[in-house]
Order: sequence, then structure tokens, then C-alpha cells
Amino acid sequence: MNGKSGIARLFELTHEKKGLLVVAGILSVLATFMMAVPFVSVYFVVREIINHARDISAVDAGWMILWGWIALISLFAGIAMLYVSTMCSHISAFRILYQLRIALAEHLAKLPMGYHTRNTTGAIKKTLEVSVEKIENFVAHQLPDLVSAICMPLIMIAVMFVLDWRMALAALIPVIAGFMIQVVLYSSKTGKDAMVQYQDALENMNAAGVEYIRGMPAVKVFGMTVNTFLQFKKTITDFRDWAVTYTKFCRTPYMIYLVMLSSILTFILPVGIFLISGQPNNQAFALTLLLFLSIAPSLAAPMMRLLYLGGNLRIISEGVSRIDKIFQQKPIEEPKHPKQAHSFDIGFHQVAFAYAKKEDADYKPILNEVTFTAEEGTLTALVGPSGGGKSTIASLIPRFWDVHQGKITIGGTDIRDLGTEALMDLVSFVFQDVHLFFDTIEENIRMGNKTATFDEVVQAAKAACCHEFIMQLPDGYQTKIGEAGVYLSGGEEQRVAIARALLKNAPILVLDEATAYADAENEAHIQKAINALIKNKTVIMIAHRLSTIRLADQILVIKKGSIAERGTHDELLKIGGLYEHMWRAHLSTAQWRLGGSKQSGEVNAQ
Amino acid sequence: MNNYLYNISSGNPRSLWPSAWSSLVEGMIRLIPAILIIDVFNTIYVSFADPATPLNITRLWISSLILIIWLLPQFISSVVAYNRSFLAAYQVSADGRIKLAEHIRKLSLGFLGSRDPAELTNMMLSDYALVEQGVSHHVPQMVSSIVFPVLAFAGLLFVNWQMAVAMFLALPLAVLIVWATDRFQEKLSKNHIEAKNVAASRLQEYLRGIREIKAHNMGGERFERLRRSFEELMRHSIRIEGLMGPILMAAIVLIRSGLPIMIFFGTYLVIDGQLTLPVFLMFLLVGVRVFEPMTVLLTSYGELRYGAFSAKRVMAIMKEKPLSGDREVPAHKDIIFDQVTFSYQDDEQVLRNISFTIPANKITALVGPSGSGKSTITKLIARFWDIQSGEIRIGEEVLSKADPEKLLRHISMVFQDVYLFKDTILNNICVGKQNATREEIEEAARKAQCHDFIMSLPQGYDTMVGEGGSTLSGGEKQRISIARALLKDADIILLDEATASLDPENEQAVQAAINALVVNKTVVIIAHRLKTIKEADQIIVLDQGQLVQQGSHDQLVEKDGVYARLWQLQQEAEGWSVQ
Repeated sequence: MNGKSGIARLFELTHEKKGLLVVAGILSVLATFMMAVPFVSVYFVVREIINHARDISAVDAGWMILWGWIALISLFAGIAMLYVSTMCSHISAFRILYQLRIALAEHLAKLPMGYHTRNTTGAIKKTLEVSVEKIENFVAHQLPDLVSAICMPLIMIAVMFVLDWRMALAALIPVIAGFMIQVVLYSSKTGKDAMVQYQDALENMNAAGVEYIRGMPAVKVFGMTVNTFLQFKKTITDFRDWAVTYTKFCRTPYMIYLVMLSSILTFILPVGIFLISGQPNNQAFALTLLLFLSIAPSLAAPMMRLLYLGGNLRIISEGVSRIDKIFQQKPIEEPKHPKQAHSFDIGFHQVAFAYAKKEDADYKPILNEVTFTAEEGTLTALVGPSGGGKSTIASLIPRFWDVHQGKITIGGTDIRDLGTEALMDLVSFVFQDVHLFFDTIEENIRMGNKTATFDEVVQAAKAACCHEFIMQLPDGYQTKIGEAGVYLSGGEEQRVAIARALLKNAPILVLDEATAYADAENEAHIQKAINALIKNKTVIMIAHRLSTIRLADQILVIKKGSIAERGTHDELLKIGGLYEHMWRAHLSTAQWRLGGSKQSGEVNAQ
Repeated sequence: MNNYLYNISSGNPRSLWPSAWSSLVEGMIRLIPAILIIDVFNTIYVSFADPATPLNITRLWISSLILIIWLLPQFISSVVAYNRSFLAAYQVSADGRIKLAEHIRKLSLGFLGSRDPAELTNMMLSDYALVEQGVSHHVPQMVSSIVFPVLAFAGLLFVNWQMAVAMFLALPLAVLIVWATDRFQEKLSKNHIEAKNVAASRLQEYLRGIREIKAHNMGGERFERLRRSFEELMRHSIRIEGLMGPILMAAIVLIRSGLPIMIFFGTYLVIDGQLTLPVFLMFLLVGVRVFEPMTVLLTSYGELRYGAFSAKRVMAIMKEKPLSGDREVPAHKDIIFDQVTFSYQDDEQVLRNISFTIPANKITALVGPSGSGKSTITKLIARFWDIQSGEIRIGEEVLSKADPEKLLRHISMVFQDVYLFKDTILNNICVGKQNATREEIEEAARKAQCHDFIMSLPQGYDTMVGEGGSTLSGGEKQRISIARALLKDADIILLDEATASLDPENEQAVQAAINALVVNKTVVIIAHRLKTIKEADQIIVLDQGQLVQQGSHDQLVEKDGVYARLWQLQQEAEGWSVQ
């Protein structure tokens, strides 16, 4: 990573040209000048008045009117420039944001699935929404402002020094002193500690608030209140107290800065009087003093703005670095020279895998020395206790994660040499928790094969036992999921996913607990659909209900990350090991009766 | 405006008074230096006007001295205003947050379920942060910004009314522009917010479906809908700036054009002899300072409006009526559904004129295809919603008149989506009975088949559960929720039998736990596997919101109906194997 941060890094990330922003900056400075012209006009008019104080009739009215026009015209010109400037900066900013969002989405899809856990999804969303928004605010609204907030005081101070350095110094004293007091106090230990505690209190309150809302059903059912629930109330009042503490801490430096800035005149006047008292008849100096007195107060506004913008500059750097953290996540490596798979058998060769890295504290090996072959066109079932590693094996095949040791092959070729796109074309998945997109049913099925005709989509839907319920939806295949309250039941979603896989017709199929969530009617349909789907394919299937995989060509019993037993149903029963034990448990759960009635106990003991 | 103030203070505009008052005083105290400077100008002017009078240095020194002394009152008034506004702000938001949290707790679970939880959380947390800002920043800023222009105008009106009018000549026009385009601005903002929401939900969809997206090679720009929503957001953002910019700028130009207008008027009036030079000078000096606070006012107004917008959402929730009722519900009585009709949102009826009795201390199973109304019935018993017509009674007591909190004390729910708090396992079980002893808790855990796996965890009962209970397996979470229910010992148990995704051993444990729970309870179970409920005292078969069959398993299997068909289907499915 190079050292760029903040705005510079933002440009780098989004490949946005700086042209527009440069134009915006230049125009913003020009606009600042223009908007200051009315004050200059006032000065010239005042000078004209004072110079002719003795004889009003000698006042050059034409000259004064001219300055009035200059003021008015420059005001209009200034505001027009300001508008063009802000438009330039806005267009640039929104283009940056668009590029940033797209680049992030693109990048996220290339990351291993391991990155997309439940926690990171929330965090990514928050990063994208909050950080991107802050960047938007800054680049679009405040960047041009910052340019003028810096230029304006600089120009004014320069002019002051040219006119009279002594009074200019006097004007600078409160600005610098106020600034110093701020810096010293804020960077003091008490200040930093207070800030940390304030942030902690805020986080505690937010965390408790999120839990409170998410756990609301439990909160209600168990009769908890704001007081008893994780001390949510206490976190709120704690936050208030820390906010008050921090506010009180900031009070003195902030107030001094505020009062000093609004009292620049108080500092200039004594110096001016001292200087003029030595030369009471020097009219030129008197005029300079008046000029100082009339323009110095306008120094306060941009200085206040600068303070405010400076704070935001830190926020944007933080936002960019948060986003950068996502970009720094390494995407799955693509082969330089992709190879092809020549057949469709799957091989696991001494595969080892863990979700965490070895050096991490929460390192826990998930798979160890897993070796097996699934012959082309056969069905391999994975069974075993939950947490044993079945789902992990299934998700290694599409490279949702990469193995740590060993390799996985398709037709003899390491899947890492195939390239993700080619790999995805070889493999279809039906997951346990199906995700349908907020699109039409037709498009949701067509995801499997984008070039499929409508007829082919219908064919697949029929084979997956979806056609009937789809036709009952308000707009048939054109019904949009999620719109007007159209949601499918878990079993229906699963059948759509099967239709998707049918349409894709890839030679390899991974089924993860495809019959979960199903009620009686759905179950029969899904079973039919699965039978249609698995014909002539290499199938890897995870199952909890052991009866469903009795006829599998090969059953692998996965326990604690390795293959404990392997064989066909009958072979495994003969071994009398874990599988046989599970089979008995399966039979007894199938016999279970609610209420602990007569049979259940005995079946258990069989 | 009043409405804004009402919303921004979350319904308590009085809380804004201290902050507004002290800002007003602060603004007035700041006026003194401006008046003194006018005197300084005048003093210098006099020496120019009349060569006979030398420059009155003493007078200048006195002004200067007063200015220096005046720093102190300025400082004090600022501190007071700061205290009043910031401290008040945090108090207002803390009170508001607590009030909202309590209120949300009293709303029906049905209503809460229909809202996006993220949105509710946002209201309680971020929206109140905006309220804080409104009270701490925008209100005082607006008040102190308004002081100078108003007082200057009022004072100068007596000095020379023509010039005073000239100063604010274009102001009404600026106000008119802002006022007239209010609607337009609102519409633009609304479109913009919508575009933003669409983009946010597309992103959510994208992130949630990332596995499918990866599996189908549709990442990044190829996911057309996400790209389009981002593009749309960009378009709307540029549009809102492009169109609203000129409005704001026009208002600023109009306000600021007061200065050139004063120069024109002043010059003519001076020549005409209606205006003396010192007075003209005074006006110009005021003019240099008077317009800046007004532009501040304009931006503050904009931000206040934005804050009021979120405050409005909060107010809408606060206006939502909690369930009413204060009657106690009797224990161990029949639950009676009497011609109940119910629909979620004035659309399709989920239950249609349905009547049945759930006998006390017996097991009643609900059976039917998905969407038939099974889970709705359990939710209605717990009064997540109130029904549209008919009556639900527990014993003699009508449910809609029962105190919702007291009702829930009688009910335990064991559902598929178990929610565990980010707390220790002990405390998670303990919520069932808050004053339970350690022994009682362990006893419940044993009965619910949790004790052994809890003891194998690193810190036993004191092990922290991850957010949403993510560190435990589904079966373990279910068992903890059963332990909770055992401890609560309510007389009505609502069960959703969904053990499909558990491995056989976990499933066995959950089944044993459930059996411990249902002894001598009124049990309502949503059944998927019909075998499970073969022994139920009563089976109610539902289809499309209507009761189609009712009876024991043996009775129902005999009849030619939905139940017999489902039973048949499931018998076949049970023996199914692939290939």
C-alpha cells in the first residue's frame, strides 16, 4: 500500500480526474474575492465621505454610485461563480461516490466467502452508508468551502500587513492565541481521555439499543423494561453524562476562542489609538485605522468555518481508511493461464482448512487430511454431527474459501487453476438458505443461464415442481419477489433454486440440506425436483435426515474435520460405528411423539 | 415553524426556551462592541469634519477600555448560553430516547415486526443525535443570528427610516423565494431520499445474495440493478444540487444586495440633504455586519428542517397507540377462538371466521400448508395483533381487554428463530425468571438438555453469547430457549416444531427438552412432521384461513380429507431416498 490517505487516496481509488475539482477550487477563490468586493466598496465610499466631511457638496456622488454598482455586479458575478464552482465540485463528488460504490461492490464479489459473515455484512453496509456519506458531504459541500475559508483569511491578513503591520499583528493576536489554547487543551491527556470515554459511552449505548430492538420479542415476552434490559437506560444516561462531561471540558477553550475571534476589534483599537495619538493630524493613517475597524470583524466567520471544516477533514480521512480496509482484503487469486477440466469427477487430496489464520488467537482447524474421490456421475453424501465440517467441504468446491493445505481437483485439474468463472460454470449449488433477488421469478430462475429462452425457463420450473405455484401468483412468472408482499415460503424458494440449477445444467451439483424447512406437501415436491436434478451429475449432498441418502453411491461420515467412516449405507451399518449410532438416533427421532408418550423412551433405548 | 420546533424538541418545545433565551441575551451583549465602534468612527469623523476640534483621543481610549472590559460579560454570557443549550440538548435527547424505548416496548409485536428493525434502532440512536444538534446548535444559532438584524433594523428605523428600509429592501423577496420553493425542495429531497433508500436496499440485497452472485458470475457492474440504483442516486444527487443551488444562491444574493442598495439610496439622500454623512457612515458600518448572520440563519434553517424531518419520523412512532387493556388473564383455562377474522394490512384475510377451542392443559396441534394461518393463530394468542372481528377469550376474559404485559406472563414461546442476548448464558436463561437462584437455573438447564454442553464451554454458565447468539449451534440455541421457558413456567406454551435442520443427535436432545417443557401445560404446536403430533389431544387442520378438519389423529386418518392426504404424502416422503 502506498502512503496516500484522505482525498488523494480517494482520487486514486476512483480514477476520477482532478480537473473539475481544480476548476471548482479556482472559481471558489475567485468567488470569494468577488463577494469581498462590496466591503471594499464600502471602504471607498466611507473614504469619500470622510475626506469631504467638511463640505458635503464636494462629495463625488457619481464615484459613490459607481462603487455601488461595482459592489452589486461583483456580488452577482461572485454568486454565479460560486454556483458554477459548487456544481463542478458536486458533479465530481457524485462521480467519485458512484465509482467508489461500484468499485467496492465489484471488489466485494471477488473476496472469498469467508469475508462475508453476518458481522461483516453489517459492517460493510455501515461503512458504505456512513463513510461514503461523510465523504460525499465533504467533497461535495465542504471542499470548495474549505478552499475559500483558507484563502479569505490569508488574503485579508496579507492586505492588512501591507496596510499597517502593527495593527495587522494586533488583529492576529486573538486568532493565534485562541487557536493555541484550543490545541493545547484538546491534545491534553484529560481532553483525550474524555473523548475516548465519550466515544465508548456512545458505542455502549448504540450496542444496547441495537440489542434492545432486535430482542424486542424476548424483551416483551419476558416482561423486561428499559431499566432491566441490559441496563439500556443506564447506557443512555451514561452517554448523557459523558457527553455533558466532555462538553464541559470543551467549554473554556471553545468559549475563549469564540469570544476572542468576535473581539478582534478590541485588540486592534488600542494599537490604533496608540499609533494615532502620536500623529493626531495624519488623516491617511486615520483612514487606514477605519479600514481596519471595518474589515477586521469579517475575519471571524471564515476562521470559525475553518475550525469546523478542519474537524471534518479528520472524519473523511477516517472514512477513506475504513473503505481502504475493505479494498485491502485480498481477492481470490485468479490463475494466469487457466486450465480446463477434462472430466467431472471431484477429488479432495489431503485437504486441510481453517477459517482463521494459524497465527490468530481464534485459530481452530476445521478440516484435516480430508481425502476422497467423487466419481463422475455418482452421488456422494456427507453426514455427521453439526459443526463437523460437512458444509465447509461443500463450500470449498466453489472456492468460497481456498484450502490451506492439499488440493481439490475437478477432472484432475486443481480448481485454483480453472479460474473462478470457468469453475462456476461447472458447478451448480442449491443451498440450505436460498436467497431470491427482488426481481421477477423468471429472472430469478434465469440466473442459472442468462441465454435461456422463456420456454426453457418454464421447462425448468415444471421439472422443479414450481410451475403450478408460480402460475397462481398475481403476475405469474413476471411476479416480482418482495413487491406487494409477495414472498415465497421456504419450500417454494427451495424449488425455485432447484429450477435455477436445472436451467444451469452444470455437470457438478452441490446440495446443502435441500430438504430443510419443508412441510409435508413441499417435501414431496422437492424430492421429485431433486430426483430430476441429479440425473447423470456428479453430486455432493449434505443430509441430516439419513433416510434420504440410503441409496447414495458413497456416504462419508464427517466428524471433527475428518472422514470417520466411508462406504455405502449397508456397509456402514455393518461396521457398527458412528453411522450406525446416528441411524438409530434417526429412527428414534422419527418415532418421537410430543408430550413424551408411551413409545419414545423405549425406542431410544433400542 | 411551530411544527418544526415541536418535532425538533420531540414534542416538548418548552425545553428549547432556556437555550433560546440565553442565546438572545448573548446576542444582545455582543451588540455593545458594534455600537462602540460606531462611536469611534463618529469621533474620528468629527475631527475630519471640523478642523477646529482635534481628535478626541481620550474618548477613543475610553471606548477601547470599555471594549476590553466587555470581554468578560461576553465570555460569561457565552458560557451561560453554551451550558443552557448543550446541557439541555443532551437532557432532551436522553429523556427522548428513554421515552421512545419504553414506548416501543409497549407497541404490539405485530407492529414492530412489520417495521425494519434497523430503522427503529436508527430512530432511537441517530435521529436523536440530530435532535441533539438541533437543540445545541441550530436553535441558538438561529436566535443569536436573528438578534442583530432585528435590533439593527428597529433602532435604525428611528434614525432614518428610508435607509433602514433600503437595507432590507430585497429581504422580503428572499423570504418569498425560500417560502415559495419549499414544496419544490421537499419534493426534490423526497426523491433524493427515496433514491438513497433504493440504493441502500439494493446494496443489502447484493450483500445478502453475495454467494449466489459469486456462484453465477454476476459481481460488481454486472449486477445491473445495483449499478442502476447507484447511477440513479448520482443523478438525483446532482439534480438536487443543481436545482436547489440557484434558489439558495438567489436568496443569498438578494439578502446581500442590501449593501449596494444602501450605497445607492445613501448617495441620493445625502445629495438631497435628507441624510447627514455621519448617519450614512453608521448605516454603512452596520451594513458590513448585518448580512452575514442572515445567511447563517438561512443555512441553519435548512439544517433545522432536515433535523425536523427525522424528528417527524420519531413523532409518528410516538403517536402509534400501544395495545390497550388492563384485565388480568386467568391461568389454566381454555383458549377460545370465536368467529375470528383477521388480516394483516387490510389486504387478504388470513383467518376467516374461524372458531375452535384449545382446551386447557392439553396439546393442540395446528396443521396445514404454508400460508394457511397456523403461525398467525399462535401470534394472535400472544396478542401480537388485535383481530378485526370475532373474539378470542382465555377462560371468560376477552383477549382485547387484557393487559398485554400480564397476558405475556402466561405465555412461553419456543420458535424457530431463537434470539439470545449478548450476555452470559446464565443471564440468557435467567430472563425467564429474573430472581431465579443458581440451582433453579441449572435445574432448568438440565431438563432442557443444556447443562452438559454448557459445562463443556470455556467459562460454563458465564460464557458470553455472541451477538444474536451466533456462537452456538441452532440446536443448542433452541435448547437454551427451552430452558428459559422452563424457568418461566408459564401455563401456555406456543411451539413451532421445526427440527428439520438439526442433526439426529441434536434433534433427539431438543425433542427430550420439549417433552420436559410441555407437562401439564396448554400447548399449541405448529407441526410440520405429522408423526410428531400423532398423540396430540386435538389436531386442527387449516387451509386458506379456515378450519377444514378437527379431531384426533385416529379420527382424521379415517376420514377422506386434507389430513389423510398430507399423512399419505408424508408417509411416502419419509421413506424417500435419492436415486
